[in-house]
Order: sequence, then structure tokens, then C-alpha cells
Amino acid sequence: MPRKYRFRNFRRKVFHKKVFPRWVFHKKEFRRKVFQRRDFHMKEFRRKEKYWKYRIKHGKFRSHKSHSNIGIRQRMHPIRLEHTIEHKVAFLGNPNVGKSSLFNILTHSHQHIGNWPGKTVERKEGHFILSDEYFAIVDLPGTYSLAARSEEEVITRKYILDEEPDLVCVIVDAMRLERTLYLAAQAMELTEKVAIIVNMMDLAEKEGLKIDASKLEEKLGVPVLLVSALEDYSILRIKKFLYDSLHTEKYVFNPAQIVYSPKIEHMIQDISNQIESRGVCSEYPTRWLACRVLENEQSVVEQLELEFDLSDVFRKMENMVEKEKFDPAIEISRIKFLAIHKIVASAVSGIKDFKETLSDKIDKVAIHKIWGYPILFIIFAAFFLLTFYASTPIINGMNWLFEKFSSWLLNSLVSINSPPFLTSLIVDGIVAGIAAVLLFIPIIIIFYGLLAIMEDSGYLARTAYLMDRVMGKFGLQGSAFMSIIMGFGCNVAGILAARTIKNEKDKLAMILTNSFIPCAARIGVIAFLTGIFFQPWLAALIMFSLTGLSLILVLISSMLFGLFYKKEQAYPLILELPDYKHPRVRNVFYLTRQRTGIFIKKAGTFIFIASIFIWFISNIPFGVPPEQTIVGYLGRGLSYITEPLFGFSWKMVVPLIFGIAAKETIISALGILYSNGGGLIEILRTSWTIPQTISFLVFQLSHVPCFATLATIRKETRSWKLTALGFFYPIILTSIITIVIFHTFVAII
Amino acid sequence: MSEIFSLEELTSNNIVIVKKIVAGYKAHRFLADLGIHEGERIRIVKNDVGPVIVEVKGTRVAIGRGLASKIDVIVKE
Repeated sequence: MPRKYRFRNFRRKVFHKKVFPRWVFHKKEFRRKVFQRRDFHMKEFRRKEKYWKYRIKHGKFRSHKSHSNIGIRQRMHPIRLEHTIEHKVAFLGNPNVGKSSLFNILTHSHQHIGNWPGKTVERKEGHFILSDEYFAIVDLPGTYSLAARSEEEVITRKYILDEEPDLVCVIVDAMRLERTLYLAAQAMELTEKVAIIVNMMDLAEKEGLKIDASKLEEKLGVPVLLVSALEDYSILRIKKFLYDSLHTEKYVFNPAQIVYSPKIEHMIQDISNQIESRGVCSEYPTRWLACRVLENEQSVVEQLELEFDLSDVFRKMENMVEKEKFDPAIEISRIKFLAIHKIVASAVSGIKDFKETLSDKIDKVAIHKIWGYPILFIIFAAFFLLTFYASTPIINGMNWLFEKFSSWLLNSLVSINSPPFLTSLIVDGIVAGIAAVLLFIPIIIIFYGLLAIMEDSGYLARTAYLMDRVMGKFGLQGSAFMSIIMGFGCNVAGILAARTIKNEKDKLAMILTNSFIPCAARIGVIAFLTGIFFQPWLAALIMFSLTGLSLILVLISSMLFGLFYKKEQAYPLILELPDYKHPRVRNVFYLTRQRTGIFIKKAGTFIFIASIFIWFISNIPFGVPPEQTIVGYLGRGLSYITEPLFGFSWKMVVPLIFGIAAKETIISALGILYSNGGGLIEILRTSWTIPQTISFLVFQLSHVPCFATLATIRKETRSWKLTALGFFYPIILTSIITIVIFHTFVAII
Repeated sequence: MSEIFSLEELTSNNIVIVKKIVAGYKAHRFLADLGIHEGERIRIVKNDVGPVIVEVKGTRVAIGRGLASKIDVIVKE
């Protein structure tokens, strides 16, 4: 047995605690619900109960200390350890069916988020353990179909076909059963091992929908479970459902075959015969292959054409399309929907067709052609204000703590006679670096937390709809708006959000121009400097106009990229608007954690290393005044150019150089350079003129993307050329704008 | 035989039946995946400015105006 499984098995007790807390076994309710179900594995759970009672009684339950009880476990159950079974379960579903939230509640913290190899699509994996068996769950990307048109669909299909999961669990939405079952029907063509979880039953019951699970099961030929992800009890039910689907004879896997119209059936038969007689691609279901050929799907067709000639099939198809206006691909999808419609109609009662829902009523105001925009503006203004005002006291508090800590550290280091070089490295380099990172975390958490609330409530999709009109003027689609908004927190997250954009051109434009959007760090710099130099109202105005400037830069640059981008068939806007619903704490928590995780990962690596690097170049040779250090020479050299052009003295250039590494270091660099013997604020106020300040603000807003952003651009575009473009384009553009603005202000004042 | 309109021309709250979709390959297939094909009954939720919102199979889908103009429908009384 592989070693890694052994290790997992040792951690088993933790899961048991979660699945069945010990008190649960004494609860009548638990017995009623779980033990007394007709088809339940009585024996298995009785054994478990006895086992835990024994452990609790003898106090072995508490012996969690390090590895000590590994020995005990091994001695107690040497045989069972050998029987750990691993199941691969894939979660499949449309976007917005609560797939991720089910995944989250099932796996809790046992998840790993990464990328699919060689792709820029997120891969989420997790696991849970039930009855000594290890259930590895893969959360496949949310798709509408399994045709290989987008990267997500390719990945999803490849996973199901090639990795052969033990169970493909399709999550469908009770409120939109027909639409979401379509994907299930496609999965059923691919593999037999399909189980269906109907989610959001609570909403459906409220609407008066009655779903007959056994009827669905009978018609579809696969196991069906009705749950509501909100009820705590459903976690247990889902786990048991998955367990049963994989083990018992309770369920039969005999997926319903959809019979197409005679014309198509005939063609399917024709192609199937050819495939079967040649014995190619035998690892895939033949009928499925034939359907894909009819749908003229490139990946399948290419693979089959290696083996034999398909041109006669295509000739027939083209004839059909031309003469009879009959496209087999569309026909297949239509018949599939019809079949599902029949199944749903027989199993579900209380369907209300085209009823005006509460969401429609809210939408009458929220996305009204006139009122929609002021509402959008107010919501986003409130969102930004709340983020920055709510985080200020926390940041101030943390700042105070860090100051206390670093002065204490300094004193204690001095008192133990540590060399001044080391003292400075620890206090000014490492501690200050950690502080710079940590101070941004509250703001990022609040920002993405509020954004997650908007997203989970369904409003964010509406903003994309509203902004489509505005963005359309610049050749962008509304779906790009999400990426822009995310960029305000951290550009890296903004670029990653561009993954969901369907249009290649928009996606590329958003990746390349996202660095124009002031991230939390740059907004921090703007807030800090405008607060020093201007009245509050003027500071707010400047902040507002700088944000406006960056948005204009994003839109205009995207338009420019659009001109150079090779003309391809544009993907028209098709956007699903989910119903409004209460944002759920759990969903918000997981969304926030995921996005904040991006920032923390970036901070932990890039920003931390950058701040230590910055300490080195600004302190070597050690003990000399700042202008004679490496960075001093660099800054003074550059200031010969920047002084006449932008009005930057060398002390202003240095923070901007640091800004290339990480924007978070700009303020701390200003602090190091200006605050020798006196408050930073007073010194800055006396040494900078107003045009200089404005020019500095404009330049730092968009001069270059930070290293982390550049690395992300490279990762997402997989092209060095585009990365170089993403680096040099902002520098050149910003320089021109800054020169213009600086000289205008010099002329005015 | 009722008159054929494009989806873009009709006002809100009309229940219509899709007659014909003349769109690019990708867009056509995407619409099909969302359940919008010939013969399907859909409701126009909102159509004034910006993308047209239609209700199909219990979901609301916003369709860009360019694409909406390529979807021919008849009004169902």
C-alpha cells in the first residue's frame, strides 16, 4: 500500500469527529434519521458506534498528542489499515448551481486550489473520509455543456474521459431543472457512473415545486438526491449518497439513452458501424463519438480522421444543412432538451411557467435604463468608502502594534550588543517588510469580502449587464467589468478574474491593461499623499479624478489593443443573470478566502523578498547617508532625466523604482528617505511642490505593473512578447501623460 | 401565420416562440446549450436599451443586441 494513503488514514479520527461528533450517537434524532432508514448500512454504523463508545469510555479519544496514537491505532486495527479505498468523485455542473458551495461544505479545509496542468483554468481538489474510505473530489469548472468549445469544456470532458472518475456527480438546480439537467444528459452519454444531486430544494419548496426523486431516478436511470446546501444535515446525506452510489446495489446505473430523430439515428448508426469495424478510439463510447462527429467537433473529428476518411459523412451533412436547413448539431441539442423536458414534466409538479419573480421586480429598478446607473454608482461608492473607512482603524491599530514591536525589538537587540548591520537588517528590513505586507491584509479582506457579498447576492452579474452599454462604446463587453473591479483590490486577482471572459480579445485587453487600475496599495499612496497636501474635499476630488483617469486609460488602451488584434469571429454577449438571493456567510467566506489567498501568496513571496532586497540596495555600503548607497546613485543618475521632465528629485525617483517590485513599498520608502530626524508629513510638506506632488501621484498610478502582476501576465498569456508589452506600454504612456500634466500645473501655478 | 419579428424589436413581457437563429457557429451552439433553439418558448423580460434579457427554462439570459437581432421569433398570443 502506498505510503501516502497510510498517512491519510492516520488522520482519520479528525474526520470522524466532523462527520459524527460523539454526542450525535446519543441523540434520538440521529438514530431516527440515520439508523432507521430502511436501506442504511446498519451494521457498518453500529460497529462504528461501538468503536467510538469504546474509545470515549477508555479515554483514547483524547489522546491527540503528536504521533503517539499512531502506534495505538496500528496496534488496534492492523488489518483495517490495509483496506483503505480511494474513490475519485468529480463534481460537474452549470455555473451558479451552488456546486462550489457544496464542494466547500463537503471538504471544509481539506482542499487544494491549483491550475490544470498547462491551462489557465482553476482546478479545485479536496477530500473527505467516510467509513475509512477516502473520497477525493475534483470540482470541475462550471460549464453549460461538454462540447469542446472553451478551455473549461475541454478540461471537463478530458477529465471524465481520460481519468475515469469512479463517480461523476452532476449538481443541478431544482429551480432550473431542465436547463441544468442538460449537462447531466451529456455526462450520461460519456460515462455510466453518473449521480445527480438536485440542489436548492429549499427555494424550490418555497416556490411550490414538488420533485419526485424516485420518478427522476427511474426515468434517468441514475441515482438522484434532493438536497439543500444550506441545511447542515445535508452534508451527511450527500456523503452517504456518494458512499451508497459507489457501494451498494441500491442504485442501478443504467443511464437513459436519448433517441434522436430517425434521420440522425440513421447517421449515428452509419458512423458507429464504421468506427466499430475499424476498432479505433475504443476507449470512448461509440455512440458518443458518432454524435460528436455529427456535431462537427474538431477535436474528435481530427482524432478519427487519423484513422479513416470522414469526408463522405461530412458531404452528407453539408447536403442536409444546405438543402433541408437541418443542422444535426443543433438538432441533437434540441432533442436532448425535449427529452429532458418530458422527464421533468413527469417527475415535477407545480412548475409555473414565465412567472414574474421577485428578482424581476428588483430588476425593474436595479437595472433600469436610467435608474440603474445612479444605483450602480451609489453602491460602488459605498463599497469603496466602506472598504477604506472600515479598514483604517484596523490598519492604524496594527501599525501601532508594529511600531511598538519594532522599537522593543530594536532596544532588545541593542541591549544584547548585536552588530548594527544585523540590527538594521532585522528591524528595518525584515520586520518592516512583514509589516508592509500585513498592513494591507485587512483592506484586502474587507474589499473582497464586500465584493463576495455582491457576487453571492447576484448583483455583480447585473453590473456586467449595466456596464455593457458603457464598455460597448470601447469595444469591450460587459463581462470585462468584473475584472476591472477585482483589480482595485489587487491587480493579480483582477487578471485572474479575466479568465471568465469569453471573448479572446477582451480577455487579452483586460490582462494587459489591468495594471492601470490602482490597486489597494496605490490607492493607499494616493490617500496618504493627498491627505498631506490638500484639503479633504480637494483630496477626495483628486482621488476621484485619478481613479477616473485610470479607468479611461484602461478603456482607451483596450480599444487600441482591439485595433491591432487580429479580427476573429467575435463572441457575442450571452450572460446568465442569476436570481437575487441572500448572500450566504459560507459562500462569502470561501470566495473571500480564495481571493485574499491570491494576495497573501503574492505578499508572502514577492513583497517580502522585494522589501528585503530594497533594504539591501538602500543600505549598501552600510552606514553612509542615503545618497551614497546603491539606490542613491541610481536615483541621482535617473533624476537628471526625471527632474526636467516630471519634476522628480532623486528622493522621489527611488520610491518609484521600488514600486516596480511592489507598490506596497512606496510609502515605506518615502518614510526611509525623508524622515531622518523629524516627522515624515512635515518634511514632505515643505520639500514637495504641488505640481511635483500631482506629477508623482499620476506617475505612480500607472507607471509599471509590479513584479507579481508581470508574472501573472506571463502566466496567463504564456507569451514573453505580451509580457514585455504589458511592461513597456504603461511606462511610455504614463511618462507622456505625466509630462503633460506636470508642465500644465507648473504653468498654472 | 403570425408575423415574424427579430427578438430585438419586441417589447418586454412578450411570450414568443423562436423561429430561426441566424448566428455564427459558436454563438448558435452556445444559445442551444442554454436551451434557446427553434420552437422554444421564451419570454422577453427586458428590452429597452442594452442587451435583451429573456427568460428561458426558468433562467434569465442577457443577449447582446447584435445577436438578438439575428433571432427571429413569432409572438404567441
